[in-house]
Amino acid sequence: MAKLIGTPQKRKEDPKLITGNGNFTDDIKLPGMLHGAFVRSPHAHAKIIRIDVSKALALPGVVAVYTGNDLVGKVKSVPTMWLLPGADLKPKDRSALAQGKTRYAGECVALVVAENRYIARDALDLVEVDYEDLPAVVHQEAALLDGAPLVHDDVAANLALLWKAGEVPEEEFQNAEVVVKQRLYNQRVIPNPIETRGAVAQYNPGSGELTIWCTSQNPHIHRMVYAGVLDIPESRLQIVAPDVGGGFGSKIATYNEEAVIGHAARDLKRPVKWIEDRKEHFMATTHARDEVIEVELAGKRDGTFTAIRVKNTANLGAYLSTFGAGCPTIDFGLMVTGAYTIPKASVVTYGVYTNTTPTDAYRGAGKPEAAFQIERIVDLFAQEIGMDPVEIRQKNLIPAEAFPYGTAMGVSYDSGNYHYTLDRALDIADYASLRAEQKRLREQGKLLGIGVSTYVELCGFGPSKVAGAIGFQGGVWENSTVRVHPTGKVAVFTGTSPHGQGTATTFAQVVAEKLGIPIDDIELISGDTRSVSMGWGTYGSRNTAVGGAAVAIATDRVIEKAKTIAAHELEVSVEDLEFSNGIFSVKGVPTQSRSFQEIAKSANFAWNLPDGVEPSLEGQSFFDPPNFVYPFGAHICVVEVNVQTGEVELKRYIAVDDVGRVINPLLAEGQVHGGVAQGIGQALWEGAVYSDNGQLLSGTFMDYTMPKARFFPTIESHFTETPSPVNPLGAKGVGETGTTGAPPAVVNAVMDALRPFGIKDLDMPLTPEKVWRAMQTRGENA
Amino acid sequence: MKLEHTYTFDIPRDVVWKLIQNEEVLKKSIPGCKSFAQMDDGIYQAEMGVSVGPVKGVFTGQVQQVDQKEPSSYRLLVRGKGLPGEIDAVADMRLDEVGQGTQLTCSTEVQVTGVLASVGQRVMGGVAKMVLGQFFKSVDKEMKQLATHSE
Repeated sequence: MAKLIGTPQKRKEDPKLITGNGNFTDDIKLPGMLHGAFVRSPHAHAKIIRIDVSKALALPGVVAVYTGNDLVGKVKSVPTMWLLPGADLKPKDRSALAQGKTRYAGECVALVVAENRYIARDALDLVEVDYEDLPAVVHQEAALLDGAPLVHDDVAANLALLWKAGEVPEEEFQNAEVVVKQRLYNQRVIPNPIETRGAVAQYNPGSGELTIWCTSQNPHIHRMVYAGVLDIPESRLQIVAPDVGGGFGSKIATYNEEAVIGHAARDLKRPVKWIEDRKEHFMATTHARDEVIEVELAGKRDGTFTAIRVKNTANLGAYLSTFGAGCPTIDFGLMVTGAYTIPKASVVTYGVYTNTTPTDAYRGAGKPEAAFQIERIVDLFAQEIGMDPVEIRQKNLIPAEAFPYGTAMGVSYDSGNYHYTLDRALDIADYASLRAEQKRLREQGKLLGIGVSTYVELCGFGPSKVAGAIGFQGGVWENSTVRVHPTGKVAVFTGTSPHGQGTATTFAQVVAEKLGIPIDDIELISGDTRSVSMGWGTYGSRNTAVGGAAVAIATDRVIEKAKTIAAHELEVSVEDLEFSNGIFSVKGVPTQSRSFQEIAKSANFAWNLPDGVEPSLEGQSFFDPPNFVYPFGAHICVVEVNVQTGEVELKRYIAVDDVGRVINPLLAEGQVHGGVAQGIGQALWEGAVYSDNGQLLSGTFMDYTMPKARFFPTIESHFTETPSPVNPLGAKGVGETGTTGAPPAVVNAVMDALRPFGIKDLDMPLTPEKVWRAMQTRGENA
Repeated sequence: MKLEHTYTFDIPRDVVWKLIQNEEVLKKSIPGCKSFAQMDDGIYQAEMGVSVGPVKGVFTGQVQQVDQKEPSSYRLLVRGKGLPGEIDAVADMRLDEVGQGTQLTCSTEVQVTGVLASVGQRVMGGVAKMVLGQFFKSVDKEMKQLATHSE
């Protein structure tokens, strides 16, 4: 069998999906199925005075209407799952349906269940809710001020958490030769997978079993949480994530809607479906980022960094979402020193409640914000001392021989070759020529900008012991069973829950190469809590690094057992056998052999097994990695800013990423393309906008930019491969490289272009209007 | 959101003052008005179909006239509620004599919620201008008819 790991293979998933044979949540249609629609609060902050459902109930076809009061004792609040220790955390959980008060525009107030979707939607009109409007607070800094409206009466100053890590003596800054400070706003973004959220629930009143099909990145976490919320044993609750059309972090969270739909099915003893529409999605599904980051970097005139301190004021929204407490603290804070040798570092994070949609993970979750602040401040430091941004990076990047490298924030970077990756990017970009070109164009009044970012991110969640120490309410090991059928075809079960990553292909490559069988002989089974015993899902670039590692180990266990059976049949000792290309043969006697398929049959028939060997051929692994993995890379962005209009034209984008061992370069490149597009989206176009009274003004694609293919130049994606020592595949994770590396590369490029205007920083997104205004008002400083 | 709209009636100010607060005139002139009835002194209950770009819906609400300074100004308080959201508006109406006619200036501060805000905000200014334009045109027509009848 040819080598498969490291080769470009087309996605096994695609024939099904592109011929319309996918099975998404909305494709599920059950006999007698009812349809739900949610009444949502139009107010960001209001008292619910009265709810009258009588007119809605009177509409023919309406079966039930539930309000918060109807669910008391039946559906609990949906708890956060990241109980951050040492941060005086004040968790406020989403209630199933609002009771007494609503705290953000879009919060669920009632559920209408009807014979079809149209009636359910019509009935929403007939649910009368009287509100008493309360003052709202939208921005996290405003929410911390004295006299700000309180989102929760018992959370003083709206402060949900105060987290501190690391320490830097004040003298480090007082006595430093150079200190550069900057306030950066990492704006609020709204994850928009092509498939919105949805759920279908079915209850068997005889057995008491409840099945919920839903759009989840981690069905076992959904099962664990909803079992508690609905007070049903986990053994009787089945969660199925069928085909899921993207998530980007927004489908990690457990939400109230899915649980309430589950309850309705149980209560009405009929299946109930709810599919979120796009307008709902903008308000109801978690938002992300929204962090005001103040950073100070101290160092020497020669460009050496000595200390960094960072303050993050993070907007958590109205409730603490599933992993909401972790993003601006652990995920962000542990990575503030970036790819550099900065001996001292400290971080303080204020997590703040506001009358906005709760925030949670979004492709990168904390790491993009960490990379953004360090990569921006490094550029500003370089500017301050008159050094080239590449030179200052080369001076401070962690050298290859220093790995594993313990950072000032107490984490250990597994492996790296940062200078090499940067050099590769500089070569591909022809950096020296670009600078010469920039100089030439500047003389003609044209604004060419070159931006560099040398990011590193924390991925592959992770050691479960660490998860426990940081208050993550779950394990983060991964599970795989590799089951060999009597014919030698193989079913691979994984506890990750892929939703667009192409995992059925990459995992099959690993198994097929190891077993020496055709890739088409392997099927991946995932996303169903009844098929897969346990698992922790797909997020944080853990799919391959942790889930794939479990698959590799489970496959090795299959080989190990198959070898004992083959040795028995060939009447040699195991040591005398070799296994390659799917054939077990006696060393030096290749004619004495058994194929993998023959052994599969022998194992399953069990007619003649060696003593002490049980029938069947199956390997299982529960892999808990000893450390996180730390992918890194160097991105270079070239832009031209239009002096007349402020428009930013992307001229080139070079991404040299090191994600450890690449399993499938085609899919890895696809991940880079998607991630870079999302990262550039945040840098240039995307941004959630709220009015002062908490109305989401960017609530549709008319007002919230979804990046499109035509916005981008060809993304020049390349890989260097520094294997990770923490898992048997040597893989690190590729999904979040783009959203981490791209925003600072792009903003650095635009600021570089605007240098003749004396403009040092502008908040993302760098819209033409913002850039144009900046040029108008600061032009005289040129 | 702040909106300002001006309309000039070819009708004397005292007549405009009287008729612009006439229930029948209002009922016939409010675009999409389905019902309009006086509840208490100066408070009207109204039901009105509104269409703001892609956002459509029936709004029910109350209109109250306060701070009346005959014949030159009064203030309208409007609170409406419908599926697409809620509307809370304060409108200052000023009547100035312009020759034989009357110039009416309507300065409004509008707060909206729900889909009306998230989807409709961008087109709201234009729609409000159109709705107010239609309203004053109809009022003009109704007033002229009533004025002719009463002569």
